[in-house]
Amino acid sequence: MEVDFAFFAELLVHTLSFWWVIIPTIFLGLLVGAIPGFSAANTIIILLPLTLAMEVEIGLVFMIALYCASRMGAGIPAILVNIPGTAGAAATPLDGYPMTKQGRGQQALAMSFVASTLGGLLTTLIALAAMPILAEVGYYMHSVEMIVVMLFGISLIATIAAKDTLKGLIAGFLGLMIGSIGSDVVYATPRGTMGFLELYDGVPLIPALVGLFAVSEAFIIIEKSSIVTDEGRANMQRPGWGATLEGTFFALSRWWHITWNSLIGLIIGVIPGAGASIASFVAYQQSRTFSKTPELYGTGHPEGLIAPEAANNGVTSGTLIPLLILGIPGGATAAIMLVVLQYHGVNFGPSLFFDQPELAYGVFMAMAVTYALMILTILPLSRYMSRVTLARTVYMAPIIIAFTLVGSFVPREYLFDLYLGLAFGVIGYIARKTGYHVAAILIGVILGPLLETYFLRALKKSDGDLMVLFSSDLGNTLWAFLAASIVFPIVLDRYRRRKSRSSAA
Amino acid sequence: MSYSWKPTRRDFLKGTAAVAGVGAVGLHPGAGIAAEKFPARNINVIIPTREGGGADRNFRAFSGTWKKYLNAKFEPGFFPGASGRVGYEVYMGKRKADCHNLIFGNMGPELLNWVVKAPENFAVSDYVYFGQVDTDPGCVFVGKKSKFMSIDDIVAEGKKRKLNVGTSRMAHPASVGILALGEKVGVEFNLIPLSGGKNTIAGAVTGEVDFSVLTSGSVAAKHKSVRTLLVFDDKNKLGDRLDNAPTMNDHFGMKTPPLLSARAFGIHKAAIDSYPDRFKILQDTFKQVFDDPEFITAYKKAKGEMAYLNPGGIEDCKKYTDAILEIGERYKPLLSGKA
Repeated sequence: MEVDFAFFAELLVHTLSFWWVIIPTIFLGLLVGAIPGFSAANTIIILLPLTLAMEVEIGLVFMIALYCASRMGAGIPAILVNIPGTAGAAATPLDGYPMTKQGRGQQALAMSFVASTLGGLLTTLIALAAMPILAEVGYYMHSVEMIVVMLFGISLIATIAAKDTLKGLIAGFLGLMIGSIGSDVVYATPRGTMGFLELYDGVPLIPALVGLFAVSEAFIIIEKSSIVTDEGRANMQRPGWGATLEGTFFALSRWWHITWNSLIGLIIGVIPGAGASIASFVAYQQSRTFSKTPELYGTGHPEGLIAPEAANNGVTSGTLIPLLILGIPGGATAAIMLVVLQYHGVNFGPSLFFDQPELAYGVFMAMAVTYALMILTILPLSRYMSRVTLARTVYMAPIIIAFTLVGSFVPREYLFDLYLGLAFGVIGYIARKTGYHVAAILIGVILGPLLETYFLRALKKSDGDLMVLFSSDLGNTLWAFLAASIVFPIVLDRYRRRKSRSSAA
Repeated sequence: MSYSWKPTRRDFLKGTAAVAGVGAVGLHPGAGIAAEKFPARNINVIIPTREGGGADRNFRAFSGTWKKYLNAKFEPGFFPGASGRVGYEVYMGKRKADCHNLIFGNMGPELLNWVVKAPENFAVSDYVYFGQVDTDPGCVFVGKKSKFMSIDDIVAEGKKRKLNVGTSRMAHPASVGILALGEKVGVEFNLIPLSGGKNTIAGAVTGEVDFSVLTSGSVAAKHKSVRTLLVFDDKNKLGDRLDNAPTMNDHFGMKTPPLLSARAFGIHKAAIDSYPDRFKILQDTFKQVFDDPEFITAYKKAKGEMAYLNPGGIEDCKKYTDAILEIGERYKPLLSGKA
């Protein structure tokens, strides 16, 4: 079969004929993405008997649509009620939720949908065109390079600490300490588990995420009658499509920002073992570093919302590249897809593009069609979704606590995780009340164990020689970028202050 | 008509004795319930690895047929974590020893786990493997782009520098295999645990490590991306899907026992002692599954290697566990970083 324009046109029409699978799956994906604890991976597992019974094409389209939609769905509660549906959306509420509190939830949702869709669509097309090149990324990104990538994300702690250095650093180190609980990655020796078997594998992410963000948020909002400020509430009393259009056009005007951050997501997604949580924090950090208004980040700045959403959707297509070309899944959902497709007799590897091109290219075509249909179906809903925030907190808080605690139980089905979610809720509440940033704690919890894994691996490879950290050209280049991204904002800030002083004089 | 009864001290003692007697019969582990049909309810199976992984697929294929003979459904519970330790601790600590609770584990890595760090709450002999489904030998492999074309290239390079070897975890039969080879040829290999089969293959393919060791079934499934150089078994049963790689014993004139991962069902020793009749039903029906074409079809569909299908009973499992515990003890210092 010849792979030419006619092939792709036919494939597009063929994929569109599966609209009856894609559209309902989009809604299912948005739902499972929005509930913390649920994800595309565990939904596919739950529906495994159904997925295995489906025809291979339908099963594939179903899984892809679910994967894309759940990634976008995770951002909705992150924006509206400060609850990221998955760790990949943990950077979304940093600016998304302040926008909601200001009564700009509808705009924020529209921006998130456009950034996610454009980011996902664009990276899908790039992946389609540059797959062989992108597949090579994994050959260069080893443990040393990944240490630097992690540090890009972790340096966000320093950014947060810029507002209150001591408290920011304390929160970040607390997160790193919590992240170090569990068995060590080399000899599986349990550390800091306090005798709890349930902590042997480290602190589970979902209860930490749910507790620090959702449960503590529920405790906070119950002290007020509404999560939206009076001014914001007044704005929202005049519902209309204007806010959706405003958000859409703003996001479209930042097309370059979306492109750049979705590419960060794509590249991080290609690396086996990396994922959306890393990509979204790195994108947020990069976006802030090169912004003309870095001081607005964290206060409801649209660019701070667009960056992580574009990046985490960029990861989606990235994780499928090593799966298709090398047969090595880039993430958990891709791993489950591998199981299902292998069951149907699909053999992954470069030959897939020759033996079954309609299936190999069909993966990305299904992704592109899903994103296109998703924006059409979800954008009009932003007007109604944002109304959720007008509900009284006496109703909202218990619902948040109930849903999210169930969510913290779901991934491992340990009752322990439910209590852990509550414990993190109390920690989060105390942190917020005393001016410590919960996002700094969460960055430590999420990225700390990954940093430790790559660090110990690099040290083990070099027999403990620390100079291994500077042993590769790519790694050294990344170190230089990291140093520049930390120093550059400081220099720029001083320059701007000097300039404003001289213009005032 | 009115009736009144005033209990005497004798009546009270008689009544107490009767209640105590009934109670004693009822409370005795086998009594009363022994007459009950087995299985009286679903069979709960703890799987100490992740859902969707090789053990899960294998379990689904096997239990899908076994339920027909046992006349009961199987309910898996996945307890991954700490190299399988969590699953075993939950099984031994929180599941009733009544034959309705089983564990489906990977004997090799799990037993090596206990060699490296013994369990605190129970003895390794407190649970017994009784039903082996398949055995999967370890192998040495490199990525397709690697400069190493044969195991001799690796040995030659190993004499010049310490080579990094990817493994899914330190306590794994394949790790033991490469350590045994290193001992034989006088080369020191540096084991790098990469957490799971997927990452171990990725490590070799991307060049994160010089080469990797893993169970050969997983490697054969990726044979288009990797090149197998050595097999830790008496024979290369998958032939060209493992690049016709030689076996370690043949190539290096060694007498190491096959270093296999073996998936098997295990049970509380206390359950065998208390309910021998139930255990016999489990054993008998387990054997029947292998003769059923339905299972063979399901096993193939779950990507199981027919050449590795290796039914075994309690004696086979005992032989395997004794051998792996013995070889594990030999390499304990290297596996636990205390060399």
